[in-house]
Amino acid sequence: MKNTERSILSSFDFKRWQVKLGYSVMVLIITLIIVSMLYPFLNTFLSSLKTTGEFFAFPAPFFPKDWLWHNYIEAWHVIPMLMFLKNTLMIFIGTVTFALVFIGMAAFALSHMRVPFKKMVVLFFLSTLMIPSATYLIPNFLNLQSLGLLNSYWAFWLPAGANAFYLLLMKNFFDGLHKELFEAARIDGAGEFLCFFRIAIPLSVPILMTLVIFYFSSTWNEFYWSSLVMLEKDMYPLATGIFRYVVYSGSTIQWNVKFAVLSMTMVPPLVFFLIFQRYIIGGLNVAGVKG
Amino acid sequence: MASQMMTSSAAVKKKRNWNLYMWGTLFVLPEIIVSILFLWIPIIKGVLFSFQEVDFVKGNVYVGLRNYIDITSSSDFYIAIKNTLYYMGLCVVIGFWVPAAVAIAVSELRRFQGLARVAGYMPSIIPAIVLYGMWVWFYDPIGPINAFLTGIGLPAADFFTKGMSMISIVIMETWQNFGGAVLIYLASVVGIPKDLYEAAEIDGASVWQRIKFITLPHIRSLLLLMFLLQIINTSQSFQAQLAMTGGGPDNATLTYMLLMNRHAFTYLNFGRATAMGTMMFVVMMVLSFFYLKMQKRSEL
Repeated sequence: MKNTERSILSSFDFKRWQVKLGYSVMVLIITLIIVSMLYPFLNTFLSSLKTTGEFFAFPAPFFPKDWLWHNYIEAWHVIPMLMFLKNTLMIFIGTVTFALVFIGMAAFALSHMRVPFKKMVVLFFLSTLMIPSATYLIPNFLNLQSLGLLNSYWAFWLPAGANAFYLLLMKNFFDGLHKELFEAARIDGAGEFLCFFRIAIPLSVPILMTLVIFYFSSTWNEFYWSSLVMLEKDMYPLATGIFRYVVYSGSTIQWNVKFAVLSMTMVPPLVFFLIFQRYIIGGLNVAGVKG
Repeated sequence: MASQMMTSSAAVKKKRNWNLYMWGTLFVLPEIIVSILFLWIPIIKGVLFSFQEVDFVKGNVYVGLRNYIDITSSSDFYIAIKNTLYYMGLCVVIGFWVPAAVAIAVSELRRFQGLARVAGYMPSIIPAIVLYGMWVWFYDPIGPINAFLTGIGLPAADFFTKGMSMISIVIMETWQNFGGAVLIYLASVVGIPKDLYEAAEIDGASVWQRIKFITLPHIRSLLLLMFLLQIINTSQSFQAQLAMTGGGPDNATLTYMLLMNRHAFTYLNFGRATAMGTMMFVVMMVLSFFYLKMQKRSEL
């Protein structure tokens, strides 16, 4: 159905050779882009199975001669992968829980409940939107230090909710729910908690998913901030562990083993992405329309 | 209910008022506390610390503008500003137009549109640090890119010289980031009513004219917004530089934020670092102010 619909080009345009030529060039370029997007990942994976000799051969063979799964076993011994992974998961789970509860309740109250000085409260949250977090990165660190939160998961869990952008996304979504739903529930005797947990939350799965995805990717991505906040190796999340022990110029880990570590790190986000693909694309649209 | 109304005194009214607002207040309160503790206090502290000498043992001492004077009189500061502006410029020249162009092209694909979207978004889901690790090898003198270049008969290139390293980083980051931007543009390009193209075609507009007079004007405000977001993001950039080159060679990739972090965590001079943060903050506020003004004018 959809394929027969026109876009910029119509089926008549394709009768002209210039358009045909231009379109072929365009398709070729997109194909090249797709290849260049996927090639690095394939290369990384295949390189992680090579011997050091094959790895540094110039030009290197694309496929390894023997698939050396041994590199992966070695990777597990080179850095404490399991511990880093556990830390990442702990940070992610706590972050999402705290953030969604705090942000969700506040957003719900601001859009469906009576809040004193509501306009002022909204302004209080939104005025931080304009300030890029990098500009207060250092006082933020000093602040966590003086609160005694350094080197603990709490340093990630508690501040997770302090995000005006996500609050705004959530509030916009709740604004779209009909007020009558909650009025009817209240008349039937439902308390505010019931309204929130039994009506608002089940209706807002898409936006919740979007936020979970945002938090997931920021937890997996963050390596610098965690390297400051977490003082001991035992507390590093995976990305920081890789930053500190694998990707720095003085690292003595062999390249093929390094690539085995990198390949393993790619797997969980990829799986996550494949499962939540639908929500990711949708979420970007939610984030995109804010302008 | 009615009897309650009859006996309503000031005290009861106050209590009812509280009852009306109680749940709302309780629901907002945690978020307010968290925002004060982890957003507002750091922001305010940042400004305060920039006028102090931060010392964990002896306590902070007020030093007036000394941090600012020290910062602005060092040559690193100007190198960092120059590098950051150069980097921002490169990102606009190399990176800014790519997602918009690709989005328009992808919207024309009749098949495999989904594949193009997913492939483009791939680098955005892989942790950035993994990409940095990969690309350090790809850019290696004997890495895959040079193998390819010599394979087709071109001379091998050195990607981390003083002149090239920033460009190399920008190319890598364009590759890394453009998928997300493509999806945002795509949503807007796909939303343009098709009858406009139909009408234009009937009036004899060429393909190029249709893109120029229909597609581009429709995504103009989005382009402006994305431009501003890119300026804000790229002016803060330091993580790729930190992980891939460490600011070198010879400070060629030392960006403003990287210098700020160096002052804080290498030289342990938190006063100077927060002074740099505050200056950046002021510049950002001015930029946002101009953006809002521009937006108001375009709405009129």
